[in-house]
Formats: sequence, C-alpha cells, structure tokens
Amino acid sequence: MSSATERRDRFEAIAAEVYDPLQRYLRRRASVEESGDVFSDVLLTVWRRLDEVPSDAVLPWSYGVARRTLSNHRRAAQRNLRLVQRLESERQPAPDGDPADAIEDTDPDLAAALARLPSADQEILRLWAWEQLEPREIAQTLGSTANAVSLRLSRARKKLAESLTRQDPPPPGHIEDEPAEEQKR
Amino acid sequence: MTDQLRKRLAGLDPMHPGVPTESVTTPSSQRLLEEIMSTPVTEQPESRPEPRRNRWLVGVAAAAALVVAVGGAIALTGGNSEDPVAGGPPLVLNAGGEDATAMCIMFSVEELARAPLAFEGTVTAVDGDAVTLTVDEWFKGGDAGQVVLNAPQGLEALIDGFPFEVGSQYLITAYDGNVNYCGFSGLSTPEYRAAFEQAFGG
Repeated sequence: MSSATERRDRFEAIAAEVYDPLQRYLRRRASVEESGDVFSDVLLTVWRRLDEVPSDAVLPWSYGVARRTLSNHRRAAQRNLRLVQRLESERQPAPDGDPADAIEDTDPDLAAALARLPSADQEILRLWAWEQLEPREIAQTLGSTANAVSLRLSRARKKLAESLTRQDPPPPGHIEDEPAEEQKR
Repeated sequence: MTDQLRKRLAGLDPMHPGVPTESVTTPSSQRLLEEIMSTPVTEQPESRPEPRRNRWLVGVAAAAALVVAVGGAIALTGGNSEDPVAGGPPLVLNAGGEDATAMCIMFSVEELARAPLAFEGTVTAVDGDAVTLTVDEWFKGGDAGQVVLNAPQGLEALIDGFPFEVGSQYLITAYDGNVNYCGFSGLSTPEYRAAFEQAFGG
C-alpha cells in the first residue's frame, strides 16, 4: 500500500471523527459564516499535520487547532472591521456575533453569571460542559497540563458559583442556620 | 453539585446535540475533503517578527543584553519546527530584572502599538524562575501556543511588581525576546485589553 493512500485513509478517518464536533465547536464561538471559513482551514491544518495528530486525542488536538485558527482569523477580521467602523464614524456598537446571545433566554441567570467571568474561565467551562472534555483533554486543547487545567477548572467553577450567587437575590424568608444557643450559666 | 453545574451549563449550549450539523457524507463535504487532500503537504516557512528598535525600549534592551550575557537565557528560541497552529515548542522570553524599567516611556496606545510582539495568555505554571503561559490570543508577532517567561533574577521584579498567579490572564508585549515593562505588560483587565485591541486591532 502506498503511503499516499495510507495518508488519505487516515485523514478520511479523522475527518469522519471530527467533522460534527468541530462544526459545533466553531458554531459555539463564531457566526455561521466565520465558522465555515475557519472550518475548512482547520481541516487543511489537520491534513498538513497529519503525522502529529495524537491517535488517543484526535478531537482535543483538533479543538486546539480550531482554537488557534479561529483566533488568527479573528485578528485579521478585526483589523478589517475596525477600519470599516472607523470609516462609518463608529455610530454603532461592534456587531455582536456572540452565539451566547441566542441562549440567554434558556437560563438567563447562568448566562449572565458566565458572561461576568474572565474569558479564560468562560472558555474552560465551555470546553468542560459543552465539548464535554475532561481536564486531560482540555489540557491537550489549550496546550496546558492536566493538573493546571484541573486547578483552573475548579477555580472557574467556584467563580461561576459565586457570580451566580451575587446576582441572585437572597431567597425570601430565608433563615440562616444559627448555631444552637450556648447554655449560659 | 459539580455534575449539576455541568448539566446546567450544558443547557446553555447553542449547539447541543439536537442541533443538526452538516454530515461528512454529503456531496459538498466530500468535495471539501477531496479539495483538502489534493493540497500538497508542505511545511510553511515560519514568519518571524522583524526586530525593530524603539526608543522606549532602550532600557529594556540594555538590561536584556546583561541578562543574556550573564544568565545565558534564550531569546526567541525555536525557529526550525515551531508549529504555527497547534502546540509547537513554547516561545521563550526574558523577563529580566528591575533594571529593565530604567527608561520608561509614558504609556500610550501609540507606543504600545510599536511592540513587535504582543499576546494575551493565561499562566499555567509558576516554577522557580520561569512562568509558563498558554497563549489565549496573539495580537502581533507570534504564533506559539505557549510562552515561557524566564526571570533569572527572580520573579519579584516582574512587570511593575505584579505577581504572576496560576490561572490569571496577562497581556504581555516583548521586544527582541524581552518582556516590556513600564506598563506595557500587565494583568488583563477589560480596560487594558481594550488598549491592546486598539493598538493591534487596526
């Protein structure tokens, strides 16, 4: 079997595995249009770097590629956007392609609490809850270590819980647990 | 509790499994894959930022020269196989001592924009005299997934004295492999980030 055929076979197998989750990953973070542009770039990178794809972490590795490709794409797009905006005398706020907009209705308290966190915390929580990755896999995506990710994830969860409480008004009629009164002599 | 939070967060997922995506078997998907597989596999030459001298960095450069001479720290390592997209070897930067702040120029977005290297990163490890950051976004001049800041003289003097904390996000600029001080690097806040976006966005 020629190595070119093997290469094609391997790529097709990987593409089949990542095709759906990569689309979801991108659509969670970008508009339809932007996702489409970035998607083919990500697949192209997978094709070019096929030898580097770890067979036990194909998806987290591909998410890592998607993350960087999207980031690069954004920077380029931002430059263009800013130029256009300047020319348009900046009357309107930046167009907001944030997919989070669409989901605020589902659980507005949680969406707001999430939005209040630093972007790095938000992202680690998304990778955990949306991509359903475990810390080891998140580490692969972010280029970090499992230990560091576990630590960051637990901090982010705590921050989210705090952010949620801060927003929620205390439940009416809530009675604090009081320690039993000490008997006085 | 943890599972509940995860489940509740999953409820916010705009692309939950019920939302359809394009299947890999559709003709247009197959065309895309064919197109990709007909692309020649060539390593793209690495683009390195052109070193550019800026007056506000005279102090930093002088201090850095000392650091390199004494500590033998590496500025801008890699170069042969750095992966522009996935996690290649980390970029190594000097985070020298307090001498580096000897000649500060007042902060302005215009000055900031002159930095040849700028990124936002999250600290993943602080280990002795090195800080490791995962790059969240490159604003200019780089593409590594990780950056290591070497501080042979200790971490106390770093970046206007602010401490690096694992899990926190920082905005860093560098010149010739040396971290810029004087307010040109620091903890990421919305205001500071806005300055970076303004400096490098347009």
